[in-house]
Amino acid sequence: MTLIASKLKENIYAMLPIMGIVFILHFTLVPLSGGQILRFLLGSVFVILGLSLFLVGVDLAITPLGALTGEQITKPNRLWIVILAGIILGFVISIAEPGLIVFANQVHTVTSGLISSNMILITVSIGLALLVSLGFTRIIYNIPLFKILIVLYIIIGILALFSSPVFLAIAFDASGATTGVLAVPFLLALSVGISRLKRDVKASEKDSFGLVAIASAGAVMGLLILGFFAQDLVFTDPPIPIFSDTGLILAPFLHVIPSSFLDTIVAFSPLLGIFILLQIFGFKLKHRPLFKMIKGFIYALLGLFIFLVGVNAGFMEVGDLIGETLAVQERSIYLLIAAFFLGLFTIIAEPAVSVLTHQIEDITSGYVKRRLVLIPLSIGVGCAILLSALRVLIPELQLWHILLPGYTISLTMMFFVPKLFVGIAFDAGGVATGPLTATFTLAFVQGAARAYSSANLVLDGFGMIALVALAPIITLQILGLVYKRRTRKAGV
Amino acid sequence: MDNVSILTDYQLLVVIVNFGLGSKVLKIAKQEGIGGGTIVIGKGTHRQPILEFLELAETRKEIVMMIAPLRLVNPTCDALEEKMKLHKPNHGIAFVIPVAKFMGMGKYDRSYKLNEGGDVMTEYQAIFTVVDKGKGQEVVDVATQAGAKGATLINARGSGIHETSKLFNMEVEPEKEMVLILAKHDIVQDIISAITHELDLEKPGNGILFVQEVHQTKGIR
Repeated sequence: MTLIASKLKENIYAMLPIMGIVFILHFTLVPLSGGQILRFLLGSVFVILGLSLFLVGVDLAITPLGALTGEQITKPNRLWIVILAGIILGFVISIAEPGLIVFANQVHTVTSGLISSNMILITVSIGLALLVSLGFTRIIYNIPLFKILIVLYIIIGILALFSSPVFLAIAFDASGATTGVLAVPFLLALSVGISRLKRDVKASEKDSFGLVAIASAGAVMGLLILGFFAQDLVFTDPPIPIFSDTGLILAPFLHVIPSSFLDTIVAFSPLLGIFILLQIFGFKLKHRPLFKMIKGFIYALLGLFIFLVGVNAGFMEVGDLIGETLAVQERSIYLLIAAFFLGLFTIIAEPAVSVLTHQIEDITSGYVKRRLVLIPLSIGVGCAILLSALRVLIPELQLWHILLPGYTISLTMMFFVPKLFVGIAFDAGGVATGPLTATFTLAFVQGAARAYSSANLVLDGFGMIALVALAPIITLQILGLVYKRRTRKAGV
Repeated sequence: MDNVSILTDYQLLVVIVNFGLGSKVLKIAKQEGIGGGTIVIGKGTHRQPILEFLELAETRKEIVMMIAPLRLVNPTCDALEEKMKLHKPNHGIAFVIPVAKFMGMGKYDRSYKLNEGGDVMTEYQAIFTVVDKGKGQEVVDVATQAGAKGATLINARGSGIHETSKLFNMEVEPEKEMVLILAKHDIVQDIISAITHELDLEKPGNGILFVQEVHQTKGIR
């Protein structure tokens, strides 16, 4: 089976459960109009095609580029080069992330312009840049990941004490928004590239993970610090996109083409820039690998574009409608069940998740299997969406009521879990919050919040991504514990 | 060179299949009585001009290497051909390579029939050592002290008879490292003894080692 065929098969399997649950809801509680169903189907086809092309492109271009860059910056054996490279790479990747740009605009509107979108973009990018460079240094000096994470999260905890509940939600959401489709594969490959040079294979394997986790912490810290300087904020309800059922099938797709295309180009520009610069000054790739990488870039670019068109035109509307209809049902249990299964299934089709799970398989030579990682990851995200739906129903349940015990458990577990899984778990937290979650599932939760009268739109709109980033950390560490118990040598 | 093919009572059975099927191959082989195997991830391609131009011809493969006693080689091959449908195109390939020496699995095999044929066959031999992940560097260090000039480390996973575990009904094989050392035949025995001794390969579960004849080398001085 060729590369593209295997990716297509993988993504068809990944999409079937989501399509299944939407159809089940269609025939039971949430009847959709003919136009909506057709748009959803067309959107799914776009997502499958786009995702497959994108992942082929990631394999051919983005992962090799990250690994080559990682090697390139460590080889001169100068600390300042590594630190500087970390800052530059972290900054340019983050500032061009489409997810973050959308997010920053949202915050801009919600705070009535008191916190401008540029301010958010720059603070988050600076936070991320500094911590990416810390992450690089950690790999080189063999500082254990769990020590760094403990320190970072204690700092975050202290900062969080002084922050308003809304801002806390915004800050944690930002971390999910920065680690998007392109940043994740690139960051993962970067750390593989750097740690590959190590003589100690065990350390090299462990250090291949964790950079995404450290980077996301940077985004949270950046925003919490920004929160200090913007204490007395007035929050207004965000404008909720109103989806009118036009009955047209193709028009919504044509409508999102320009914005999706722009997002794709902006997201790719820093990576292309890094590629061109380093090709001229560093890699000097020969004809064949150079063209392979260029073709990979074309695949990834096209794929991401098709994927975004499919999600924006076919999925958001359906997610919103499902949330809205279920929230007004007499028995709220329907909303909770649907929330769990939507979370459970959407995560499988998330592009960055596929990249991470393949990376895990490659680095551990198949010891940690892809499907085994997907099970706890899905369950985790399912629980996260369930909790988000609960927050809509129970306004007293505040975000920190979940985040504080959640992170305490996660951090405590680090001491018992095999260190490889600590890295995988914390990375998965950043990885889980990709474009599909940020559109389809978020639209579902916001739809529910709008329909449910007692819900606070500002508070409930934010915070879901924070929960999605938290839950997999716990479930994947549990997987690590199970692995530890089951793979001991028996009776030698 | 007819007698070259039967050097020991063991042969190396190599199966190359699409990614994800390696564990299944190993499971089938174990049902046929083979003690264990090592799986390496690779990339493969076959001739398809259009796909090659599009850079889509490459696929991920798993290479399964198993040391099999002579009597088990044919039945295992047959079982694999049948269950993995190897006779159909694109379902994978399998081949068998002779092994000159083999130790591990608790049996110290002293019966090298190297000189029985009357001529020293090759100047160089390839020593493969499979150990738990993290111990590969130790193998390299020990071998270097014993006279080896270099070594290649390959990441792998695999399991012997002592290591089988399941998670959600999926086989889990622990991570391994495979060390390939090319050495002149006169120092091969020293290197083997050193590795066997230092890593305690005679004890079951500590790793295996096998040696193969190398018919040509380039680039070794």
